[in-house]
Amino acid sequence: MVHRPRLTRARLLAGLLAAGSFVAASGASAQSDEEGFPIEHETIRARCAACHLPDSEGRMSRISFERKTPEGWQGSLQRMISLNGVTLAPEEAREIVKYLSDHQGLAPEELRPGLFEVEKRMIDHRYLADTDVEFTCIQCHSMGRVITQRRTHEEWELLMSTHRGYYPLADFQAFLRMGPTPDQPGPDGEPPDTRQPMERAVDHLSEVFPLHTPEWAAWSATMRPPRLEGTWVMSGHQPGRGALYGTVTMGGGGEQDAFVTRASYTFPATGETVTRRGRGLVYTGYQWRGRSFESDEADGAMREVMVVERGMNEISGRWFRGDYDEIGMDVRLTRLAGSPVVAGVHPRALQLGGGEREVRIFGAGFADGVGPGDVDLGPGLTVNRVVSASSEEIALNVTLAPDAVPGGRDVFVGGASLAGAVIVHDGIDRIQVLPRTGMARVGGIVFPKGYQQFEAVAFDDGRDGRPSSDDDLELGPVEVDWSLEEYAATFDDNDIEFVGSIDRTGLFVPAADGPNPDRDRNRNNVGDVWVVATLAQDDNGDRPLRARAHLVVTVPLYLLFDPGANVSTGASPDPAASSNGRGGRTPGPNPGMGGSPK
Amino acid sequence: MALKPINRKADRMVTYLANQGDVPPAEQMAGPVGPAAGAVEGGDENAEDVVALGGRLPEVPEIPHIPLGCSLVFAPGWEVDEAGGTAGLCQPVERDLFDCHLACFWPAHVPDQLNHSPDWTGKCAAAQNDWRKLEMIFP
Repeated sequence: MVHRPRLTRARLLAGLLAAGSFVAASGASAQSDEEGFPIEHETIRARCAACHLPDSEGRMSRISFERKTPEGWQGSLQRMISLNGVTLAPEEAREIVKYLSDHQGLAPEELRPGLFEVEKRMIDHRYLADTDVEFTCIQCHSMGRVITQRRTHEEWELLMSTHRGYYPLADFQAFLRMGPTPDQPGPDGEPPDTRQPMERAVDHLSEVFPLHTPEWAAWSATMRPPRLEGTWVMSGHQPGRGALYGTVTMGGGGEQDAFVTRASYTFPATGETVTRRGRGLVYTGYQWRGRSFESDEADGAMREVMVVERGMNEISGRWFRGDYDEIGMDVRLTRLAGSPVVAGVHPRALQLGGGEREVRIFGAGFADGVGPGDVDLGPGLTVNRVVSASSEEIALNVTLAPDAVPGGRDVFVGGASLAGAVIVHDGIDRIQVLPRTGMARVGGIVFPKGYQQFEAVAFDDGRDGRPSSDDDLELGPVEVDWSLEEYAATFDDNDIEFVGSIDRTGLFVPAADGPNPDRDRNRNNVGDVWVVATLAQDDNGDRPLRARAHLVVTVPLYLLFDPGANVSTGASPDPAASSNGRGGRTPGPNPGMGGSPK
Repeated sequence: MALKPINRKADRMVTYLANQGDVPPAEQMAGPVGPAAGAVEGGDENAEDVVALGGRLPEVPEIPHIPLGCSLVFAPGWEVDEAGGTAGLCQPVERDLFDCHLACFWPAHVPDQLNHSPDWTGKCAAAQNDWRKLEMIFP
């Protein structure tokens, strides 16, 4: 295990006193030695040129030498407004973000490794290309912020200077080495690397994430306004609610790259049907940013971040809400273009044994009068009759042969198919709680609650009977009983009495923020607990299956670099209660990342 | 390996853990959450693979399993401590909040006094008492 020196304030103070005024000023010099992008947008030239001086080629300092996501450009704009006195009308801000994202954005291949950042996914991420650089950056923020930018070498240096100017302690927290300069060769016999961490980061990032890349050259040459009008078949998954199937209809939004949407989808596990209408704007030819609502704009608002795949026949991403963007669902849209599309089957996992059962196939474009012979569920599965059929759903009466071989089945309906749409299995051998490690934040009085949704996924251990081997069959989410158990990090701290509760769907609801006078030393309602799922086995007297995950219930964030978010105190996970703006927001354009494309 | 209490406190912990349900004590004592985090899954709940308080120390995972966005590097950590839990955090957070603000110690977690929010504490003289007057900042 690599030992990292940890920074305490005492060490920090000592470092400050020893170093004196180490922070160097950095000017925004013209980067004439590297070719930047000319800025041809009148609003940018008019509103930004006072500081970002244009050169004879139309390149503006700093701006012309970076490429970013829409969120990245919006963040820059927010900083100009909040710290540098820029005033912009919301329409101007939207124009600027759109222009810069289109002309100095990221190619699809460049964005893909950092998609989790814009899709607001709480994932485990390791940046293995240079773990020292990763260590420097993730002291304060996700590596996703870094890998979704492209800059010249000088721009990476200036970015570092910006950090040091705004956050002087960064020198001692991350940018400068703590300890003596190494003077011995490394294990590989190479001379010691005497660069400061920030210098190493600049060298690495400018090499790996340069301004000009073949990917961007290729994408910017073929990029065009997307044509997304039409009907799309929707499939997805929302933890806690299960699979979802439906359709999305897109129409023109009145200007280039803008669309209006109407979505209707069903959660087969519960039978709940949801309809939403919304708007979206496509940046850089493929980056969908939208916002949709269940009825009016105060009801069930969700942000939509998706990628339009090349060919414009597939769109995928995440729709989410919550004050920390923590409640969301994976979404995939497939264009409906003449032939039918199979989106999924419910139930997906079919256990051997038992008699006839009903299976529903979801999709779109199914022909009228579909018969049993038009549907092929694979070996061992016999379609007895069609119970009901519409263009978007076919209900079947099916018999599963007792000697059917466990495993996945591709499903065919008319001319359409879906690989692995059905899983035949001989029983649940184990369950797993996802995510393996969760995080919630106390809130509800002043600061928003941060929820954590868990789900239990079942597995058949496969032919070899060994868990976690290659032949395991994932059977999808199952209904379980949820409970909390003490995670004994501190003797007798009784965290489970204070941190919150978990409901029957696996949603953990944290307790209130603020010091708790009922706790030892007024501790907040933070703590560590196990989230335990128990699946009762109702046959053969088998013991219940159990699995658990670690949940950290921790303190709020008091600052949120997310200008697109609407934040409430989060007293309820009800989406209608989390769309109210609240005090504290720094005045800014908040163009809403496509929320209003006009 | 059976648990072998070596002093009275250990004995109390054994009793305490035994009362925490039917999860084997070893898994509650496994320390930082690592690969064994979900180890109960269908396993033998009567197993006595106890690894605390005697004999060899458990194998410590190289890196605690931390959700993305957690900051544990600056002592004492914001979301989690160095071990991946909350036991080592500065608590209550309000006790330390203004130091974090004034020193700009947590630039991605707490508004900084230097640039973004010079007046963040204007309505709140002592966070432990007036924390309801603080506001979330969107820089």
